[in-house]
Order: sequence, then structure tokens, then C-alpha cells
Amino acid sequence: MPSPDPTPALLVAEQASKTYADLVALAPLDLQISAGTMVALVGHNGSGKSTFLRLASGLLELTDGEITINGAPAGSSDARAALSFLPDEPVLYDDLSVQEHLAYVSALHGVHATRDDFNELVERVGLAARADDLPARFSRGLRQKTSIALALARPFDLLMVDEPFVGLDAPGKDALLGIFDELHGHGRAIVVATHDAGFVERVGRCIALRDGEVVHDGPATPAEVLRLVGS
Amino acid sequence: MLAVANPDADLEGTLRDWRRFRRQKRTADIHWIDALYQAYTTAIVGLVIVVFASGAVGDNPLSASQTAGLLAHGPGWLGGLAAFAIALGLRSGSRGGPLALERTEVRHVLLAPVDRTTALRAPAVRQLRFLTFVGIVVGAIAGNLATNRLDGGRVAWIATGALAGLVLVALCVGSALLAGGTRLPRGVASLVGVVLIGLVIADGTGVIGFSATSTFGDLVLWPLRVDLAGLVPVVVAGVALLVGMRLLGRLSLEAAERRSTLVGQLRFAATLQDVRTVIVLRRQLAMELPRLRPWVRLAVNGTGRWPVFVRGLRGLMRWPAARVARLVLLAAVIGLCLRGIWSGTTPLVIVAGMALFIAGLDSVEPLAQEVDHPSRRDATPLEAGEIHLRHVPVAVLTQLAVAAIALAVAMVPGRAQLPLEAGAVAFVPLALGGLGGALVSVLASAPSVGGNWSLAPPEAQGMRLAFRTVWPPAIAILGVTPVFFAHRAQEQGLAPIAGGVRIVPLVILVFGLICGWVRVRADIGIWWRSQMEMAHAKP
Repeated sequence: MPSPDPTPALLVAEQASKTYADLVALAPLDLQISAGTMVALVGHNGSGKSTFLRLASGLLELTDGEITINGAPAGSSDARAALSFLPDEPVLYDDLSVQEHLAYVSALHGVHATRDDFNELVERVGLAARADDLPARFSRGLRQKTSIALALARPFDLLMVDEPFVGLDAPGKDALLGIFDELHGHGRAIVVATHDAGFVERVGRCIALRDGEVVHDGPATPAEVLRLVGS
Repeated sequence: MLAVANPDADLEGTLRDWRRFRRQKRTADIHWIDALYQAYTTAIVGLVIVVFASGAVGDNPLSASQTAGLLAHGPGWLGGLAAFAIALGLRSGSRGGPLALERTEVRHVLLAPVDRTTALRAPAVRQLRFLTFVGIVVGAIAGNLATNRLDGGRVAWIATGALAGLVLVALCVGSALLAGGTRLPRGVASLVGVVLIGLVIADGTGVIGFSATSTFGDLVLWPLRVDLAGLVPVVVAGVALLVGMRLLGRLSLEAAERRSTLVGQLRFAATLQDVRTVIVLRRQLAMELPRLRPWVRLAVNGTGRWPVFVRGLRGLMRWPAARVARLVLLAAVIGLCLRGIWSGTTPLVIVAGMALFIAGLDSVEPLAQEVDHPSRRDATPLEAGEIHLRHVPVAVLTQLAVAAIALAVAMVPGRAQLPLEAGAVAFVPLALGGLGGALVSVLASAPSVGGNWSLAPPEAQGMRLAFRTVWPPAIAILGVTPVFFAHRAQEQGLAPIAGGVRIVPLVILVFGLICGWVRVRADIGIWWRSQMEMAHAKP
């Protein structure tokens, strides 16, 4: 039940599926996400949320069907340039500081950023005091903040985020929600996979997955989300 | 807040610069004393291996007829090395190898709009450079050893050995890159590997006159007879490498990320000599998962007798086909080694013992899982040692099956056939030797840095580590010795059974002691700790 949307689609999934031998991680899925939309992707553990995000980012390969980002196949160079993926588990270099991480990742995307740009970013995510430290020695929450900063340090049209609030303290969560709103205001599309039923109140569209299949696509209240995917 | 990309940015150049920066940082962190120590230990280990191998090969020159036989049958059998290298490469490539990338590289570099072929070239060249070095050194050493028994100049043998080592590495890595770049299905890769090895066996045994890889054997034997056919594997390896490097960008990111996580853990476990962890991670890397449907479904009876034994059987019934095939293959290798031992190649005792040990590690899987999850085991009213011991019978049955297949291969009529009486004597020791070694390996687990040993001097720690490493395979090798003694008895004009049977009680005794240790090792540990505490408590 894909929702009709007048704006051009940024992400298009057509019969996109992923199976591991007998296990269906994602049943054939048809989905469109337009520029400037903020979408909540909800579902219980193993429902296929992370699988879908990883398929779209190119980290996983489709068993069948197709996913395109800005018209380019998922995982292709153009699609990678358009999509920023923030995974649920921070993956960071042991030997680079936060600043060096930001400089490296932004350079890999052709961004000529200054130290001031990085300072502003680390300030926004609450890492200003730790910008020259090695994230390898950080707590889970600080590593998550570093990962968030990296996802934002590069250009993108679509931001896909997997469980961003895990490990974040209350100020960190508020800062991230503020960033999402700002990006949304700038016309970026954002897809957030989360178990946080309250988050659906901030978005106009909620896609609920259950056992790899879409069971709801449209506006939803937290109560509806709990009913759809179970508590 | 919103980053903007420069469309003219040189992303690949940026990547190069950043890699150089990271390399410089890492190099600056290495202390020269550490580097020297590493070189020193590598040299010592290398020297020990060379000396041991020299002794194992022996120094009796081959007679003219033996040399003629080598030239006639050698290329076919030596081609087996190339076939094995290609099979290994195809298998690795079909599973996302051969590159073992950092997970961060997968996430940050390969998900950036950088050209992937360019991004992957540097790690590929680095890996190839190391493997090439190893291949050349090992090949040169093998060439040097060959001069002990074969005609031809030492320089020629060393140079040819080094070239053969280089070609083997190039064949393996090239095949892996090709398989990875073309996304060769795993089943096809395994099939090609099996066919190549099958052709080698058919060629070596004279069923066919030529196999696809026998030209590699021609290359190896260049110091005895220069055959231009030996150039074929050199060219094939070079082409495979070049084409494979061009296909680097088509690597599966999914497989690369899975490998990146597991290979790092695998290396760490291997560094700690934690055999069990290496096995578990290797299975994950190969996606070797238990069957959803068991081979034979056993009736579920919650109050049945012998629950531990039945649990072991249930695990056995869910073994994936790949594990069953591996055990059959290992059994076949053991069988061929037994034939080799019977024909007088004594060092094959070690190869057969190692294969038995590896088979044993699969056989003790149910017990190993108890060790992996001690909290679940300790939640039962039975003592840990009791549970471990009750897992042994299923493992014995599995190892008996391995021994039976091995002996069947060894006793197939033909050259160096193992006589029935020698096989009969070796049956039980083969099973118990491999299992005994595996039991010790799994239960002794990885060396601990804690406890009373942490304060021991390095020499004592080193001796302990060496003992823990060598002891389990040594027990497995003991299980093969009845065949060796049977052969020696025959050489002395005695009945083979008379020689072999002498060692059987010792193997059974050692296995019995190991079972006893399995049962009471926890009690011994508790007693030892209490004694140490009492000793520390004394004024």
C-alpha cells in the first residue's frame, strides 16, 4: 500500500527482496520515498528494517528486484554519492581522531571543508570537547555521536539512519532530532529505522514491517505502531 | 551544516594521500625493538622449520630408475599443488575473498563515490606482496631440500622452487580475484576445484595421460628436465592476476563486510592459538550453518534416557553437507597418508595425525559447545566434567566412522595397499588418537594471561605455550603410529600385526587417561587453586 506522492521519487524499491537460504529477511517490497520527506521505519526485531536500509545503501545485495537512488542502482557510485547511511553500530578507525575522521570522510566525498566547518558539526552533536580525541576510546554514546557527525559531514540527498537513539543521552537525542528537522527543512529525505514509537509523531509517514513485509504505510500514531508491530 | 561536494575533486588522489598519512602514523607507533624482536622470532621459527624439514626429507639420493619414475609420474602428482591452489582460490573468491579489508574501509571508503577498483588495488597489492614473499621463500627452501635427494644444481633447484612458489601464490590469488570479480557461485567454485583435484588423482594413478595442472609439475621438475610446457602455469597465473585485478571493483560488498568482521577476529584467535575460536569463526566465514532439517529426525522425548548422548546425536544429524564432505575428505587424506607410510614415507605420520586431529575437532562439536556456553552447562544439576564425559561416546562413533573411511581408502587394492591385519590393528587407535587430541585442545582452551602463570618468567610461559600447542596434535599422531610400527615390523621380516599391536595399549591408555582428565579436571583446578591460596596465606 504505497502512499501516493506528487514529488519525484528519490528512492524507488521494486519487488526488492532479500533471502538467506530458507530465511526471508525481506519479502518483495515496493516502495517510493520522495525528496524532502521524513519517514519512520518501524518493526520488531528481525522484521527487515536494517536489511532494507543496508540493501538501499549497497552494503547488502538484493536477492531479487531493484532499488534505485536518484535513478541509479543502489550501491553504484552515483547512488553512494546521494545516500548517507548511519548504521546502528558505529564503525570507526582506531588511529584517527574525531576531527581526522571528519576530514577523511568529507574528503572522500569531494568536500573541501574547513576546521570551522568541523567545529560547528562537532558542536552540534555534542563532541566539541572531544574533537581531538580518538573515538576508539569513547563510550558507546560518544561513538554514536561521532558516527552521526560522519554521516552529516558529507553531501547527501537521502539520509538513512538505523536505530540512531541507542546509546544517546537525552541532550544527544534532542540534538539529533533538531538536526533531522533542520535537514528536513532543507529538503533532504530522511528514513529513520527505530523502535521508538514516539518518533512517529514527528513524521508524516510511517512504514511498518512485520516478518519482512510491509503491514502499514502512511501516517500513524504511537498506539497504532504498537498495535501494528507489537510492543 | 550541509556539505557540498566539489564535482572536480580527485577522490582517488585524496584516498591515496590519506592512506599514506595513516601508514605514517602507524609506522611512527612501531618501536624498533619490537620490530627487531619480531624479526628475531620469525628467524628462529623459520630455522626450526627448515632443520625439521631437512631431517624429514632425508638425504638418500634417488636411483636412476626412481628418477625416471619421478619424471614419468611426478608432473601429474605435483600438478596437485596447482590444482589445490586454484581450488582454494576459487573457494575463497566465491565467498568474498581473497581480500581481508578493515571494516572501516568497507563502511567509509567503499560506500563513498570513490572508484572501487582503484580503492581496492592498494590492499590487494599489499596482500599479494606478502603472500608472494612467503611463496618464494617456502619454494626456495623446498628447492634447497630437493637437492638432498635429486640431481640438478642447487641454484637451479632453489630458483625453480622460488618460481614455483610464486606461481602457486599467483594461481591461488588470481583464481580468487577472478571468482570474486565474476561472482562465481559457491557450488560452481567447489565443483571446479573437485574436478581439478579429481583429474590430478586420475592422472597420477594412470587412469588418464594428462591433467589440466600437470604442466605445473613440469615446471617444478625443470632442474631435471626442461620442458617448455612448464611455462603454461606461469602465463596462466599472470593472466589470472592481471584480469583479477581489473575485476576488483566488482567485489561483493556484502561478502567483504562479513569477511572484514570475521577475518579480524580469526587473526586474533589464531594469534592466541585459540583453536576452538578459529574453528567457529572459520565456519561463520564459510557460512557453514547447521541444517534446518536434520538428516534423520530423532523422536523428541523430554524424559528420555541418556539426554547428553541423544543431544550429541541430534547435533550430528544437523551437520551441514560441507562438514560431512570435509570429514570424508580428511578421512581420504588420512587413508592416502597411511598408504604413503606403508610405502616408507615416514613423515606422512605427521600429516595423517594432523588430519586426524582436525577431524577430531569436528567430532567433539557438541562438547565444544558446552565449553563455549558454560553458564548454560552449569545451570544443570550435573557436574561439568560429567556432562563433558557423556559427550565423548558420540564423538567416538564419529571418529570410528572417519577411521573406517580412512582405512577403506588405505586398503583399496593398488600400489602401497595397506594389508588387512595392519588396518585392523590401526582402526581403534586412529579413532581414539584424533579424538584424544581434540578433547585436550577443546578443554584446555586458549592460553590464559591471568592466574598464577601470569607472573611466571617468559621462558616458563613459552615452554607451557609450546607444550599446549604441540600436545594435542601429538596425541593424534600417536594414533597413527600403529601403522608405522606395523610397517617397520614387516621390514624386519616380522608379521605386521606383531609390530602394530604393541603400541595399541598405549594409545588406549592415553585416551583413558584423557577421559579421566575430562571428568576430574575441574576438581583438579579447584584443588590446585585452594593449595595455592593456602600457600599464599602462610606467613
